[in-house]
Amino acid sequence: MQDWKQHKATFASIAVSPVLWLVAFFIVPLAVVWLYSFGRNVGLTEIDISGTFSNYGRALEPLYLEIFGKSVAVAALTTLICLIIGFPIALAITFAQPKWRPWMLLAIMLPFWTNLLIRTYALITVLRTEGYVNKSLGWFWEGASSLKVMVGMAPLSTWEPLPLLYNNFAVILGLVYVHLPFMVLPLYAALDRLDRSLIEASLDLGAGHFRTLTQIVAPLAAPGIISGVIITFVPALGAYLTPDLMGGPDSQMIANVIERQFKRANDWPFGAALSFLLMYATFILIALQTLRNRSAERRS
Amino acid sequence: MNRRIPLEVFRANRRSILQGLGAAAVGLSLTGALAGCGSKEDGAKIGGTGEEPKLNFYNWDTYIGETTLGDFKGVSGIDVNMSLFATNDELFAKLRAGNPGFDVIVPSNDFVERMVKADMLIALDHAQIPNIKNVDPSFINVAYDPGRKFSLPYTWLVLGIGYRKSKVKGKPDSWKVLFDSPEYKGRIALLSEAGDMFRLYGKYLGKSVNGLTPEDIKVIEAMMIKQKPNVKAYHEDNGQDLLLSGEVDLVLEYNGDIAQIMTEDDDIDFVIPKEGSQLNSDTLCIPKGAPHPKNAHAFINYLLEAEAGKKIAETILYPTPNAAAKALMPDAYKNNPVIFPPADLLAKCEYAAYNEKLQPLYEEAFTRVRAA
Amino acid sequence: MNLFKRAEIAPLEYTRRLWMRAWIAATLFFLYAPLLVLIAFSFNDSKRNIVWRGFTFKYYGKVLENDGLMAALGNSLTIAFLATVFSIILGTLAAVMLWRFRFPGKTAVEGTMALPIVVPEICMGVAMLVFFAKLDWPTDLPWPLNLSAITIAHITFCFPFVAMVVRARLAGFNKEQEEAAKDLGATEWQAFRDVLLPHMKPGIIAGALLAFTLSLDDFVITFFTSGPNTITFPVKVYSMVRFSVTPEVNAASAILIFLTILLTTVALKLQDFTKATA
Repeated sequence: MQDWKQHKATFASIAVSPVLWLVAFFIVPLAVVWLYSFGRNVGLTEIDISGTFSNYGRALEPLYLEIFGKSVAVAALTTLICLIIGFPIALAITFAQPKWRPWMLLAIMLPFWTNLLIRTYALITVLRTEGYVNKSLGWFWEGASSLKVMVGMAPLSTWEPLPLLYNNFAVILGLVYVHLPFMVLPLYAALDRLDRSLIEASLDLGAGHFRTLTQIVAPLAAPGIISGVIITFVPALGAYLTPDLMGGPDSQMIANVIERQFKRANDWPFGAALSFLLMYATFILIALQTLRNRSAERRS
Repeated sequence: MNRRIPLEVFRANRRSILQGLGAAAVGLSLTGALAGCGSKEDGAKIGGTGEEPKLNFYNWDTYIGETTLGDFKGVSGIDVNMSLFATNDELFAKLRAGNPGFDVIVPSNDFVERMVKADMLIALDHAQIPNIKNVDPSFINVAYDPGRKFSLPYTWLVLGIGYRKSKVKGKPDSWKVLFDSPEYKGRIALLSEAGDMFRLYGKYLGKSVNGLTPEDIKVIEAMMIKQKPNVKAYHEDNGQDLLLSGEVDLVLEYNGDIAQIMTEDDDIDFVIPKEGSQLNSDTLCIPKGAPHPKNAHAFINYLLEAEAGKKIAETILYPTPNAAAKALMPDAYKNNPVIFPPADLLAKCEYAAYNEKLQPLYEEAFTRVRAA
Repeated sequence: MNLFKRAEIAPLEYTRRLWMRAWIAATLFFLYAPLLVLIAFSFNDSKRNIVWRGFTFKYYGKVLENDGLMAALGNSLTIAFLATVFSIILGTLAAVMLWRFRFPGKTAVEGTMALPIVVPEICMGVAMLVFFAKLDWPTDLPWPLNLSAITIAHITFCFPFVAMVVRARLAGFNKEQEEAAKDLGATEWQAFRDVLLPHMKPGIIAGALLAFTLSLDDFVITFFTSGPNTITFPVKVYSMVRFSVTPEVNAASAILIFLTILLTTVALKLQDFTKATA
């Protein structure tokens, strides 16, 4: 790590554009909304920034904290499932022959260039009570039932379609469906730079594939895993469309609540307070992570 | 609410439509010609106002006649650029910080009230809209916009119960089946719009949709939590799809949406519960900061013309408040009990007024219901 | 069996192992089955995606005739392309900055850089709405300048994703390589171009794919930054299908899918070709 003072010209040429962009087009617009979070509605479109903390007080009520906690749990589970599905895929892409790699990446990405809403509706078509999943399962069930009859046993009870939609299971399935590439891409970017000789050495020395994976590959790919986890977890936490369209009566996530404040409830100050609570939490987490990295760096 | 009803609604009745058209042919061509002349004169006048011949129309999807925009260009020379929004909330949120250039918008009645209170609409110059005379008189003096200073009615609709006849005993003509009974456990879908839900529960409890108190909200909240295990989903206004695909057997929806799927499935019907229900009306308004207000007036005037109104109704098949246009429509439309429900039931239905104090309470209570 | 007997599977050829192939096949099935249904229903002769009512091409005709939809598609691709290019540049610079330098306020910059990923879309949409309204950003510029507000918003939420992916990639870079290059007389720029950039390439590609995907799919933020003349594909589609998907929208998506496959195939083939001839 270099000190910026020793390389001022290089530092400036690298840092100026991203930092300026971030300030002008992100910090400034967001600062306005941040100020709103300390204000209150006066009439329908005016917000009086009175410096009140009442919005935050309201956002910290158990009702919203519980929804927040539930959303974190759903997003965490989604991220975990994405990691379990995505890690082998990223590994396969990494170790595929070079000419196949772009095609495999494309195969993973292609579904995600279809509009999110259309994709969600497509998933709903497949999952509904009279959809293809239930139809196929029903068909297998009937088959098994008639097989049993053929060998002289009592048939199975009649097929009851599985409730695959409008519950929390559906929300998580939908979120995994939507967020998988967010996990695969960073994993691929990180795994690709692994020193293969380390893995080969581990295998040669008698470690199994699983052990090599957990003891050698995973620690080496840790930065990629972390960025993949963040990139998947955070958008999953902010998802509102999937719970809206695929969830049941109790599948409400924090982003749904926030969206309602900005739209239906027309309560921008409260919506802003909820949004910024979410951001404060993440900001602190990331700052902690950076501090830990840095102290680790210093020690070494 | 779904603003699209395809012409297929009346495919079965095409012949009767044609007959109706034939019977009215003489009258039609006469009014059409007259209307055409009138418009052309209007068009000449617009040219004189010096506004560039452009207009930005912010509308719901498929909520306009197939040729209406082209016809308007023909008579006025004004190019209409139509963009689409999907909910009133979006429309309001988008215009809140300032009008990005829309000339004519189509908010529902309670949002007209909101926007008037927020000073977001231009007062209409009735002198520039002579076709106001075509609007059914019962739609002129309405509580949400007395004297129609800011809005003119485009369509209206009513909430009720859409249901699958073979799966439901008799006619579910009370809100009880949706709101207060485990009879159809796991087979009902309700709206996710907090305000509408609380007001309809109020109706079920024998109150006016505009007469709820914070105490009522508490009572209703408890009822909703009690009913929640019986509810399959709070739908995002796509209840007709849930009903048609067999996902649920009873759904809280607008009459137009159910009328649409009744043409695809004979097993579906619609009823307005005996306790009464809530009416909605979509209206034509001009937002503050509209770049072409004169063109906007001319366009609204054109949409209210008898012939143009008829063409719109033919495409979207929603109930029209345009009496002159309705008179031109065939019986299959005028006498459809789903599109135009019986008068005695309609008498029990009310328009919801926008209530600044209760709206946040509805929202928060509904958030609690969903988290419960 | 023949397939596997051809040659011994090397330890790292995970792609040739049966369990891995099964895993990939299952995942691809999960990803593609709904899309295949979607494409199938684009040929359905019914207004709704629920019951099959016979085969038709008419919705493809309708899509191609729908000028609004085609214009929206053009806008979306233009914005996604621009946003991706700018995001790659800004994101890579940001990643190098954070990876290479120690400077005061670094933790704050790092945290702020992650915020566009965290901020709820609707909150950012409203922020952008108010921001451009307060600036009085002109909305009636000729194409493609009228897309500037949307493009700026897209770059803002896309480039931190690129930065994050590239940064993770850089974490394993052996700095001595770059220093060796400089010792051997390479300038700062040469070292960056010839040593660092090739190392970052997979990260940049992954980041670019993410940025393109995010931009192409964004509805909320775009909705709040678009005007009457700047409708994008998702905004158009949302207003069309909020209530139910029609085959017309399916057909448009199918066209988009085929178009993407075609373009990417051509691009990849070209790359192979240039490599082969180089």
